Parts: sequence; C-alpha cells; structure tokens
Amino acid sequence: MPADAADSRVRGRVIIGTMGLDQHEVGALAVSRMLARHGFEVLYLGRFNTPAGLAGAAVEEDADVVGVSVHSWEYDAYVDELVTRCHEAGTGVVLGGSVLTEADRVALPLRGIDAVFGAYATEGEIIPAIDALVARRRSGALWPGGEPDPLVLRDRVVVITGAARGLGRAYTTEAVRLGARVIANDIDADELAQIAGEAVTTVDADVSTPAGARAVVDAALESTGRLDGVVSNAGALRSGSILKVSPEDVDHVLGVHVRATFLLAQAAGRHWRAEATEGRAPGATLVTTTSSAGLYGFRGEAAYSAAKAAVAAFTIVAADEFARFGVTVNGVAPVARTRLTAWMGAPGSDDPADDPLDPSHVAPFVCWLLGPAARQVSGRVFEIGDGSVSVATGWTPGEPETLPAHHDAAQVDAIMRRLVARAHPPHPILTPQLPTEP
Amino acid sequence: MSESPGRQSFYGPADATVDYARDLGDPGQFPYTRGRRAPSAAAGSGWIHRELSGEGDPRRSNGQLHRLLADGALGVDVIGDNPTQSALDPDHPMCEAAVGTTGVSICRARDFVELLEGIPLDRITLSHSLPAAFAIAGQHLAATELGFDPTVLRGSAIQGPLYTEDCSYAMFLPFDIRMRLSLDSIMFSLKHMPRFHPYLEDTYFISDGGLDAVEEMALGFVQLREITRQLLGRGVPIDAFAPRIAMLVNCRMDIFEEIAKIRATRRLYARMMRDEFGARDERSCSVNIAVHTSGLTLTAAQPANNIARGAIQGLAMALAGVQGLEISTFDEPFRTPSAEAHQVGLRTQQIIHLEAGAGRVADPLGGSWYVESLTDELETRIDELVRQIEARGDAAELVDSGFFRSIFHAGMDRHSRQVHSGELAVVGVNCHTIPPAEDQLLRDEAEERFPADHAHVERIRAWRATRDKDALAQILDEVSAATTGGDDLMGPIRSALAGEASIGEITGALRMGVGHPADPFARSSAPGRS
Repeated sequence: MPADAADSRVRGRVIIGTMGLDQHEVGALAVSRMLARHGFEVLYLGRFNTPAGLAGAAVEEDADVVGVSVHSWEYDAYVDELVTRCHEAGTGVVLGGSVLTEADRVALPLRGIDAVFGAYATEGEIIPAIDALVARRRSGALWPGGEPDPLVLRDRVVVITGAARGLGRAYTTEAVRLGARVIANDIDADELAQIAGEAVTTVDADVSTPAGARAVVDAALESTGRLDGVVSNAGALRSGSILKVSPEDVDHVLGVHVRATFLLAQAAGRHWRAEATEGRAPGATLVTTTSSAGLYGFRGEAAYSAAKAAVAAFTIVAADEFARFGVTVNGVAPVARTRLTAWMGAPGSDDPADDPLDPSHVAPFVCWLLGPAARQVSGRVFEIGDGSVSVATGWTPGEPETLPAHHDAAQVDAIMRRLVARAHPPHPILTPQLPTEP
Repeated sequence: MSESPGRQSFYGPADATVDYARDLGDPGQFPYTRGRRAPSAAAGSGWIHRELSGEGDPRRSNGQLHRLLADGALGVDVIGDNPTQSALDPDHPMCEAAVGTTGVSICRARDFVELLEGIPLDRITLSHSLPAAFAIAGQHLAATELGFDPTVLRGSAIQGPLYTEDCSYAMFLPFDIRMRLSLDSIMFSLKHMPRFHPYLEDTYFISDGGLDAVEEMALGFVQLREITRQLLGRGVPIDAFAPRIAMLVNCRMDIFEEIAKIRATRRLYARMMRDEFGARDERSCSVNIAVHTSGLTLTAAQPANNIARGAIQGLAMALAGVQGLEISTFDEPFRTPSAEAHQVGLRTQQIIHLEAGAGRVADPLGGSWYVESLTDELETRIDELVRQIEARGDAAELVDSGFFRSIFHAGMDRHSRQVHSGELAVVGVNCHTIPPAEDQLLRDEAEERFPADHAHVERIRAWRATRDKDALAQILDEVSAATTGGDDLMGPIRSALAGEASIGEITGALRMGVGHPADPFARSSAPGRS
C-alpha cells in the first residue's frame, strides 16, 4: 500500500511481536489491543520473530514502527541487529517489557532504540511516544535517506582542556568545523584568547583543582544548558630519571594528568547522572588522554608514564561506572608533534597535511569518539597518529599455573622459572626515536 | 465469559446453605472439599515446600537443587530455558542467546544425569516443568543410571496437549502428536514409575497471562476431562490412572476467591470422577493439588513488596490445604529466582508452616459463611463454563480453530486494561507509586543478570560429533516411523535418548514423521541426518 494512502486512513501502522525464543505474549497482546483501540493499525506477528523478519514485514507493510515485547534478557543479543535492520527499513523501533530496567531505559536509546517502556507502561506513556515516532517517520525526519548530516557534532557542547595549543587546539578547530560548540580551557590565558569565537567559549582555569574543573563544566551548562562531551587533554611533562625527578614534579605531573581527569569526570559525571535520573539519557562522552608512554613505558619519563598509565586504568573503570547513566568513556594515546614532544624536531614539510605527526591528523578520530557513531564504543584506548591508528588491548592475564596446597622454596623457584620462560616477552620500552625512523 | 455476581459486604447463615455430609464431609472424606486428607501423625502436617529452579547448564542447576534441599526444600521443581521448553537444542541458531537464562538447558540423556546427581530421588518429589514425554523418559534413564529403582520415583510432569502451542511454549507439533505424547508418557509412567504423577494438569501456566480463577479451572477441567476420556478410550480403567493425576494451580491476590477455588476444585473433581467416570477408588476422587503463586501479581516496581505478596498468597494456600507450594519470588518480574530469592521463598513457607502453624488443622476456614458461599459460587461457575466450552464441540477442533487462543488473548487484554484503569489495584504500579530514583530496595538483587551459557553450547556441539552417525540415523528413523501408525511413541523416544539422540533431533524426527519440516525455523532440514 502506498504510504500516502495509509497515512490518510490510520493514525499509524505498527508491527508487534516477540523475538527469538522469548515466548510470553501477554505484553505484546495487551499493547496491540491498546494501540488498536487508539486507531493504530496493528500487524501482530506473534512469537519467534527475528530482526530480519520484523524489518522485512515493516517494509512489506509500510509500517511506521516496529514494537518488540521482551520477557527475558535474550533480547540483548538481538538489539543491535534490530536497530540496524529497522534503520535500513526506515521504521522506528521500540521495546517494552517488565524485564526492562531503568538502566535499560537509559542504555537502549543509546543503542538506537527509539523508545523503551517498562512494566505496565500506561497509554499516556505509550501513545504519545508512538504518535511522535509516526510523525517523525512521515515527515522524513526518522532515519532520513540520502547523505548523512556532514556536521556530525551539530549543536553538541564539548569541553576541551589544554585547548590553547597543539592537540587541544586541533580538536577545537575540528569540533567547531563539525558543528560543535566548544568550551575551550587552558591555563595559558593569552594563548587561549586567540581561539575565542562565536562557537568557542574560553575558560581560563586550572582543571587540576576542583574549582577549576567545576568552572569549565559550569561554563558549558550556563551558556547552553547541556554538556555532550569532555575531552580531558591538558598535559604537562617533567622529564628526568627516577633518581633525579623532584617530589614536586611528581605531584605536578600526577595533578595535571590524573587528578584533573578525575575532577573533570566527577564534575561532568554529576550532571550526567542527574540527567539520567530525570529520564533524559544524555548520550554523552568522556575522552581521556593517555599515551604510549603510559601503555608501554618511556625511557626517562617515569612520572609521565606512571600518570598516563593511571589515566588508562581510570578510563576502564569510568566506562564501567558511567555506563549506568548512558555515558561512554574512551581514551586516546595520540602521537603528534607538540610542545611535549619537542624531541621530534621540526616537520619535514610546511604543509601539515604532509606531516604525519601534525595534530590535525589526530583530531578527526577524537571527534568521531565525540559523535553519534561512537555511542556503542566504551572502555577502549586508541593509539592515533604518525600514519596509523589502533586499539590498544592492554594487560591480559598470562596462562596460570595452579599452585599446590603447600609449596616450598624449590617449588616456587621452579614455578617462577617456568612461568617467565613461557610468558610472552614484554613490549619493549619506548625511547625518544620517531617510530617511523629505522 | 463468566461474570462474578460481585461480593457482599458481609455474609451470614443464609448465604451458606451447605449440606455438611453432601457438600463438605470431613477432610479425607468424599467430596474432599475440606481436604484430600486430614493431618495425621503418619502423613504429617503441612505441604511440600519447593521453589521453581533451573538456570544455566545441568551442573549449575544441580548446584541450585542441592542448595535448595540444604535450605529445607522438601521437593524440587525444575523448569527448562526457552529452547528446552520448546524441545529445541541449545546450539540451534535461534536458541543460543537464550541458553540457560530462564531455566536449565536440557537436550540429552546425560543432561538429566548431571541435573540429578546426588539428589535423593527416593526421598523427595521431583516435579518438572519440562516437555513431559522427554522429562519422564530422561528421569527414568537418569534414575536407573544413578542407582535408583524407578518404581520409587515420586513427583509430577506437566501435560498440556490442548494449550501448549497457544500459551508460552510452543513445540511446533500438531495436536494429535501432542495428545499421543501425553497419553503414551502417562501410560509409560503408570507401568514403570507407579508412584509418580505423570499427568499434572498445570492451570498455572495457562492462566498467568490474565485469566480469572473460573476460566483457569474451567480450561483445566476441559483438558483433564479430554485426557481422561482418551485414556478410558485406550482401555485403561479409571482407577488405574486417576490416582496418578495431580493439579498445579495459580494463586492471585484475591485470596478468599483462591481458597474457595481450591475447595471447589476438590469437590468438583471428586463428583466428576465418581459420578461421571465411575471411579471407585477413593484416591481417584481426591485430587492432589499444588500451587505456584502468581508471577503476574508481582511487580517490577518496589520488588521488596513482592515478598509480602508471596507470604499472603502462601498463607492462603496453606489454609486451603494444598499438597505442594511454590512461592513466586521477589525477582520474578525480571528473572527466574536467584539464590537469595530462593532462600526468601523457602523461609516464607517455613515461617507460615512452623511459626504461624498453618497446616496443623485441616481447612480452618471451613464453615465460614463467606468461604462456603464463595466455594459454592466458584464450583457452579467453573462447572457451567466447562459445559459451555464442551458444548462448542470436539477439543481438537477447538484447538485448531483458535478458540482457546482467543480466550487467552482476551484474558491478557482484560488484565492489562484493569491495571491501567485502576479497577485492579496494584500497589506501586497504579497507586502508591514512588519515583524510580527512590525505588532501590532489593533493586540490584532483582535486576541482576547473567549471560547465556555459550560454553554449554560449545559442549553440545563437540558432543554431537562424537556420536555414531549411522546408529543415530537409525534410531531417529524409528521415532519417525512410530508416528505413522498408532504405535507407542515412548519406547522409541526413550531408546533414542538412551542412544544419544538429542531432544531437538527426536522432536525433529517426530515432525518429519507427520510430514512437517524437522526444524520449525527451517534452518536445517534434518538434524542428525546430515
């Protein structure tokens, strides 16, 4: 049936069913009848549906919305395929069922589900949500065909620290180019002032202090009322061998990297948690900055390496904690020519495009992490720059030896020797050489 | 379908015009309204305390059973996961995401052995909510392997040939095969497991979508009467099988109606067996009734309140004099019970039994004008509805025409509308609600999830390759061949299980025997016969 003909007769066409082996129909039937009473045309597909089958039926029947009733958490295995297929079919997709928790109501929209209904969702909840989906689809606003919006960060509000120079400045430029509003922070007020503009609000503050971290988050919320991303990028270096580095320098390096990341995550996280509690899943992102020095160790940079290793571990824990309010957390380990990597020397070319170590090559990847395409990515660390990008996979347990109930020194010795002989050799420590040089 | 006349604000002698000898009788006396039997030193007081169990692979479920027994359970009830309930193997592509998440994964004889290892099958009752023919065959094989004489086995198996495809769990088998599986497995058990109840009429699972108490029992009786007529038609005398029938019923929150329902059911059953089917053995007329309290009455909102609901329902059923009780646990809206929920469920029963003393005196509500009036009303309405349904025609035709399915669907819709309109009060849902942020008590415990058991899927895949293909093809052919005549299906099924065929393969062979594709989802044409 042509869409126009269907539109003139019914309030909306909805496909309803259960998925996989999830066989309880009570919710699916109750909602089907509710929708029918309100003038929707309901195509009830019963049990044992697959994402492909549901989306196929939606195309065939020109449905506006696919609704799946879930009675066990089997659905989790099918959600991503269901979203993809429904996007391709150009329909909205909603889930309902008593097993869906408040956490699911936050997390599922981030995976692309348009609406999530818990146990005994009322007509007052369900009908307006379905009406809105039908309206969006019929106006072409739901998964519109054609080219995707090139401004993937349109209207998003992003805090970037360490924005006055180097990588932070490149991130700011790229984020603005992609449609974002940036709250740019640095302690260097003079340099920072140069990037202020219509889409860039500058905040001169030290984010390794609680007041400084709060100030940048507050700046975002006061000017726009929202906060979609934080890039904790500010960094500092205090080189020197372990025997030479001063206690003050150790504190400074840990403060700028670890403490600042912690404080920013707290300030932003409190806002995001409040949003989620109010039922407004923020869909926000925190990007931390670690380093290959933190992942593998860097000769002569014990303080910096230790601080960056701490950030990498923090990233994993933050991803776990923030998932419950729908926030993703990822880390980047950039390789670029900045003030911190002066040993890399001058670029071989004046055109940044020809210089694989120019910060502008890292920026698009960080902006991807800030954008909608990354909303199912969390707890990852990406090494980006110098002509390549990869996911760092971190520490993994080696093959264990089972300990005997009682073990003497000789057994300990034998076990340790065997383990070391069998273990993968460690990744070699990094040294101040350009990775591309022989 | 059957309107309640509504409740009065109080009841008096004029409302309860019972003839004691005719309508009540002492507990243990016809028509058993007041109980199947009186508490005695020999029989003990109380009921079989048990909780629904089953999760992950058979070994994980075995651990659950041991914990429950250690906590004082007097019987066990095992439910399969969604694939098992549909007689599909865990490595079927449609099933992998569901393996072990809503019950135990069972697909082969060894799984029954692993499930039951170390369980004192000679001392406790084993009820299962699994496809009955396979469960009876599997239990028989496993008991033998574990060193028990099958004649000592007690427990029950759910038979639901009329309704299984229409509510909750489909096996993708035509009605006549479903009925034959029921009859054959009942007859197998009568012969080989004489203390077991091979026919449990489970009105819980048909009613918990939203049927009322009258519809629940009427549909239960319709099926019970049909199976009874079929067994009589096979020449089995009524007193040879009626003592081995049991019922598992629902208990919602209108507890006086539920108590009256149990009493009315005992009376209706006794009169039916004696007067209509000619039973002479008193055990044929006094039906064994167990209860599973309603999961539908429990709420995802404020899950701790579900403990109160379970306690009220459990007390009511103890007062009604049931033989077995399972309390749906506080996490029921989200999952099959966790270890913590199991313990709370059992402790609730133990408190009702040991501290409150319910069960010491049979039928303590007997003689209440209200309860007697309600018992009469329920008996009349259940009986009338049974007659109405049977007057519509042959059971097989009613199944095929979707008549029963329409009753289930109407019940689901009615329940949902009653909750939305507030006609049915549900505390925490349509009244006395609190914001989600404050609703934290037992929230994490109730919502805890665990992943599907992919390791078990791999174990089954590896096991498949170890079998003798030719021998397997032959035993599956024998299963298919048995479907074409009127031959007994249980012999070939038990042999196939013993010969290492999987339940999915055997069910596929049954389907092929009647000209259906082996795989209901058509992902492979003939499992086990590559």
